[in-house]
Amino acid sequence: MQTINVNQLEKILYHIEKPGRYVGGEHNQVLKDWGAIRTHVCLVFPDIYDIGQPNLGLAILYDILNTQPDILAERAFAPWHDLESELRQHDIPLFSLESKHPLAEFDIIGLSLPYESLYTNTLNVLDLAGIPLLSSNRGDTHPLIIAGGQACFNPEPMADFIDAFVIGEGEEVILEVVHAFEQLRQSGADRKALLLELSRISGVYVPSLYDVCYAQDKTIFSITPNNSLVPAFVTKRIVPRLPPHPTRLIVPNVETVHDRLSIEIMRGCTRGCRFCHAGIVNRPVRERTVDEILQIMEEGLTSTGYEEVGLLSLSSSDHTRILELTRSVYEKFHDRRVFVSLPSLRIASFSVNLMGELRDLRPGGGFTLAPEAASPHMQAIINKPLDKTVFEETVRTVFEHGWLSLKLYYMIGLPGETMEDVQAILDAGKRVLDIGRQVRGNRVRVHLSVGNFIPKPHTPFQWYPLNPTEELQAKLDLLKEGVRRTGLKLSYNIPETTLLEAWLSRGDRRLGQVIHRAWQLGAKFDAWGENENMPLWRQAFSEIGLDPDFYAYRERDLDETLPWDHIHTGVSKAFLKRDLEWSKQGRTRQDCREQCYACGILDAFGKVRPVSPLAYWGCP
Amino acid sequence: MTDQPVRIRMTYAKAGNLRFIGHLDLQRLFERALRRTNLPLRYTQGFNPHLRINLASALPLGFIGEAEQMDFWLDQEVPLDVVSNRLRASLPTEIVLKELQVIDNQRPSLQASLLSSEFEVRLPEYCDQRTLEEKFASLLAQETLSVQRRKKTVDLKKLILQLQLVKEEQVSLLKVAMKSTPSENGRPDELLELLGLDPADCVITRKKLNYLEE
Repeated sequence: MQTINVNQLEKILYHIEKPGRYVGGEHNQVLKDWGAIRTHVCLVFPDIYDIGQPNLGLAILYDILNTQPDILAERAFAPWHDLESELRQHDIPLFSLESKHPLAEFDIIGLSLPYESLYTNTLNVLDLAGIPLLSSNRGDTHPLIIAGGQACFNPEPMADFIDAFVIGEGEEVILEVVHAFEQLRQSGADRKALLLELSRISGVYVPSLYDVCYAQDKTIFSITPNNSLVPAFVTKRIVPRLPPHPTRLIVPNVETVHDRLSIEIMRGCTRGCRFCHAGIVNRPVRERTVDEILQIMEEGLTSTGYEEVGLLSLSSSDHTRILELTRSVYEKFHDRRVFVSLPSLRIASFSVNLMGELRDLRPGGGFTLAPEAASPHMQAIINKPLDKTVFEETVRTVFEHGWLSLKLYYMIGLPGETMEDVQAILDAGKRVLDIGRQVRGNRVRVHLSVGNFIPKPHTPFQWYPLNPTEELQAKLDLLKEGVRRTGLKLSYNIPETTLLEAWLSRGDRRLGQVIHRAWQLGAKFDAWGENENMPLWRQAFSEIGLDPDFYAYRERDLDETLPWDHIHTGVSKAFLKRDLEWSKQGRTRQDCREQCYACGILDAFGKVRPVSPLAYWGCP
Repeated sequence: MTDQPVRIRMTYAKAGNLRFIGHLDLQRLFERALRRTNLPLRYTQGFNPHLRINLASALPLGFIGEAEQMDFWLDQEVPLDVVSNRLRASLPTEIVLKELQVIDNQRPSLQASLLSSEFEVRLPEYCDQRTLEEKFASLLAQETLSVQRRKKTVDLKKLILQLQLVKEEQVSLLKVAMKSTPSENGRPDELLELLGLDPADCVITRKKLNYLEE
């Protein structure tokens, strides 16, 4: 098998920005003998190296695949504009970092799709690899294109381009897919037979085996398998307990966004915030034990030499042994000259004290809290209640512990939001600044970071329309006006940029044509620009003859068949509807460790729940 | 911890993929590689201690380095063969450890005593030796060789200490020694550009670093 011409590449790289992104050779990279290995998998994160390489999901799959003696896994990322134009000009196909093989030489391409703004990049990567974009145009000589990641819980917009999606957690199913592939290849099966076989693996969704019918009002009439052997719906995969964490992590040679040892201490979240996609699709909660985390940290630091560790989860202060963990981390690592960051903390003085436990292991910089909503009205709607006294006490503790800068995350455009609710964000910010100044004087900095709410599939808010651009703009204007001469810093997203994510996240299969056309018109790196790609997307919608407002601004009927209804997260649609109803009534739920609200997870996965108390599940 | 740290000078080669790693990234790479050795590394004192390392000179992106140098410090003496073994195990394969020696703490820093660098440039095969010789001769006949670096103009001619064009095994090689001090730093790629050659078509190797004699 031919690699690309490395001499030619090196000449090109001489004039390329940050060429270290494209050459591999990092510490802990795995380079196997291509000819001696049966199955070649290329894991592709369709964003630039700097963003993709730190992704923990990628590291986990790389580790699992490369642990197998008969499989090799290499990596590829989207090239930045400068290298892309050189590759196209010199007719060099996109290649893997490790052995510099063209992507088309691999047997399987595993795409990581954690967010929707990577869809055009995905097409661009396939095109640069010389692989036909449409699944229907690929034959037996082309690699199998699979995709996974959080965005794949609604796979439909990318259905035309991906041969098979892996829904949910990939740790077990990735090997099942590779082994099935290997078996079928040996038996000489064709691509059609392979895809049919893959569709029978639990958690694998092969879109070409489903037909979508549309009703007269353009909503979906039905999504049904076109083969009697194919399941009517696909339930996500979970691992009953978190598998061993990779510790021989690749240490990038060039600076990346999270240049540190990332350790997942817990998966899932029990809080039930109604806007939160991750909170639903990652259920149930599974924890690692303190001992396990300490051991991962020890091995990971030894093997990488990193000077910073991130202990990650969706809500780290909810780990049942979090205090013990922070104390043990300090005890064990305080003379090792490492920084330990503990992001995603719930708003409570307890959280701040946890950071206090880390003492001089805390990285510099500010403290971050995410109230998301400021008024009791809004907090009840999103099920993120926050007592005013608790909030103020937490903030005070932050400043008392020595932090001078506090960042607060809020959302606007939430369902039922009024201008009073937006005003409450300003009031909260001013109050925080007052408290900070009381404690630490005028050096205190308070930063309001305001995001625009986007309704996400599989959440109780999946039926809601996106807040119109004009309304978002009015709310932003109120905030911008309100922070003047207060000393508060405000950052926000331009409302228009919210649209792309809104279209794609709740899109259906018809959007495939729009994505394809937008890419042809030049859209890529959609998460990067302010909104320079928006005219291209609008043109694509209009040429294909679809109305973007249908996807962004339409309130879905509760009885409507949603594009992702055949993809099951384990959380039932009945629960989501009930939770939506509660939201409208302003009713909140407690943490579901306190009380089970029968979301459906235990019905779906109760059978695989381990009996051992070591593998702690958040469900009561 | 003893008060007197042990200063170790490492000579290494940087080649292959790592040619494309810049100076700051290389520093971070060394810090992490050193941390992986689990040697008793010396950190700076103060509120925000960091690993004490000192690289002689930034090697421009794309250049090969055959005898680059870096100093680092240990809190206590460790046999050099132990240091060497641990470093070899922890460095990426394209950083090749060549030599380690213990250096007197009183000696000036690598950066402060560096005078010049010796480069060897493998010129592209499409260059005819005679034409090259003529081109170099007329170039060096000029009184000044001005090149633009950001906003200032530099006379490259003052930075050239020695220049020789040779042919070895059918390959035209430019051997050039240039000043490498903080205020006067010569770059052979600029010289190539003056000749109308694309440095990307050449292989540029820094062969040796020369320091102030003590």
